[in-house]
Amino acid sequence: MEEKKSNGMSRRDTIKALATLPVLGYFGYAYNANLLKIEEAKAQNYLERLKIDKIEVSEEKLSPPTGNSGNRIRFGVVGNGWRGEQLLKSLGYVHPDYVEDSSENGIPDKGMQKFLDQEDLNVEFAAVCDTFEVHTRRGVEISANDLRPFGKKRDPKPAKVFSSYKEMIASDDIDAIIIATADHTHAQIAIEAAKAGKHIYLEKPMTHSIEEAVELRKVIKDTGVVFQLGHQNRQQMSFKIANELYEKGVFGDVSMVQVYTNRNTVFGAWIRDDAFDHKLGNKDNINWEEFLGNVPLCEFDRKKYFSWQRYSEFGTSITGNDLSHQFECMNQVLKLGIPETVVALGGQYYYKHHGDMPDVFNAVFNYPERGLTMTYDGNLKNDAYRPSRILGSAGTVDVDRAILMYKDNHTDRYKDIILDPSDPFYYYAPDDDVDAISSATSQVYMKGGYGPTTIDGKTVEATLLHLKEWVDAIRGQGKPSCDIEAGFEEAVTFNLANLAYEHKKVVTWDKVNEKAIIG
Amino acid sequence: MRKHNQYSEYSNWQVSALVILRVLIGWHFLYEGVVKVLNPHWSAAGFLNASQGPFANLFKGMVSNPGVLEVVNFCNQWGLVLIGLSLIVGLLSRWASIGGMVLLFLYYVSNPPFIGIEASAVAEGSYLIVNKNLIELFSLLVLYLFPTGNIIGLNRLFASRK
Repeated sequence: MEEKKSNGMSRRDTIKALATLPVLGYFGYAYNANLLKIEEAKAQNYLERLKIDKIEVSEEKLSPPTGNSGNRIRFGVVGNGWRGEQLLKSLGYVHPDYVEDSSENGIPDKGMQKFLDQEDLNVEFAAVCDTFEVHTRRGVEISANDLRPFGKKRDPKPAKVFSSYKEMIASDDIDAIIIATADHTHAQIAIEAAKAGKHIYLEKPMTHSIEEAVELRKVIKDTGVVFQLGHQNRQQMSFKIANELYEKGVFGDVSMVQVYTNRNTVFGAWIRDDAFDHKLGNKDNINWEEFLGNVPLCEFDRKKYFSWQRYSEFGTSITGNDLSHQFECMNQVLKLGIPETVVALGGQYYYKHHGDMPDVFNAVFNYPERGLTMTYDGNLKNDAYRPSRILGSAGTVDVDRAILMYKDNHTDRYKDIILDPSDPFYYYAPDDDVDAISSATSQVYMKGGYGPTTIDGKTVEATLLHLKEWVDAIRGQGKPSCDIEAGFEEAVTFNLANLAYEHKKVVTWDKVNEKAIIG
Repeated sequence: MRKHNQYSEYSNWQVSALVILRVLIGWHFLYEGVVKVLNPHWSAAGFLNASQGPFANLFKGMVSNPGVLEVVNFCNQWGLVLIGLSLIVGLLSRWASIGGMVLLFLYYVSNPPFIGIEASAVAEGSYLIVNKNLIELFSLLVLYLFPTGNIIGLNRLFASRK
């Protein structure tokens, strides 16, 4: 029998009462050990240590409006098609039909409200020229519409109609020109406009051939007009941030860049005979000869006119249409420049009834001086979404409207940073609510970074910022970001791929003589 | 013959199992609590905002009022710590069981794995109606109905014995 203490407790009682207390001790030990391990693993705030916790470009502010009553810029539009009207919207002009469709009982919808709130660039839509009468007429209707950002304009002046771009350029009615025509006419219109002293906003891709690019660059430099190529990705915050990360060495040595086009619709394959209002087009309301430009005269062909992208005499193939975008984004991020050699293969295997554009296409661009290659997969029969990917020695980076970087498992640069392999090393996503977009092509467009961007806490169309940059530069404020040099690199790069595809040979860029060497 | 404990009808194996269950649940509560108390940035806001189901609005409402949120944060983290301690050391652990059940009930209904409700970001597994909160809740009910603090635990020091 155990001896009971005065309070009736035996030693056995006490042991049993306190039996679980050691658990608390072990808890304390385990907690501390675990905490230390976690802290160590996190290498607390590695972003700060790497000086990438604060990204300079993301602190960027929207530049203030430069317009005043004395510096209104009068512009003319050549090519008032689908893209032409998008540009006009950013410049503060929409069609009355759009106003009607975008408001109910006088209350504007979200998109319309955005238009009404956007910056007034203080420009005047003074002249229009299109080879399709329906589009010319729409241009006039747009210019005469009185609803503009920040209220109604009194007595809007209808844009003057020119039947040829040459007359428009020669006239004193405009200070600047917006070119959104078929690719084969980009260079000739831009060159003549520059010679006439008109400032130029030229839609991408820059030119139909390398020779044209060489000539256009010379003319732009000689004349000193303000030139902006329409790659609005230059305004996209994700690409600006990715560039800063690259410059700070975060990616390590970049050995490969992978870019893609994936589409699987007839519209996405640039077959547009019956898209939009194209059904209204015929021999009588289309100025076929003006459209042809420098292309030898041939019989009117509706398919060629509306789906010109697919015909190599007018369009620049899948590369000019889409690789030019992807390349431009990567050129913005990595300052790639022009590749030394290019190979390309593929074919037109599916959409055989329209032109000669390949629908399955692969190209490799070699940059020996940079120690990297860029590969391009273009596919018009599969719509898997693949963001552009940068393969660096320190990590793998996906860039579109967002940035997602995973660190490399074997990099010495970040060996002290222990992360769960499923955790991204760096992540950026714009903080906004972009409206749901219906079609696959436009979803990719938005995701790819060609739609809205986030700057200064606001969501703004990249195209508007790109045009604003051009307009501000005409007024002496700042410089266009997609200038003639960037445009030259774009035009030469995708045209090298087209030559490689056409000749089925390796194509080398002779940078001294600025010529492509085939074979 | 079954060996019975001196003070209860439980066999020694039964006591051991119940005490181990009590300590394990206590550990879980204590760790959840300590982590929150020692993290100055912790707030229930994220969890509450992810709330789904019939009471979602009630929980989301807690977040919108900073005063209420502060009280919720305080009660939750210190509640977890005290319940955890109590269960481990076996002091007032029946009360702790009730407190724990209340907390678990709130967690459960704020994100119930009911039919037709999509798994929320805060759930780490796949559940339908039954989830770990519910199981832990009923484990505490077992501990409430089969108390062990008087056998192995500080309660033994205060228990009056006849």
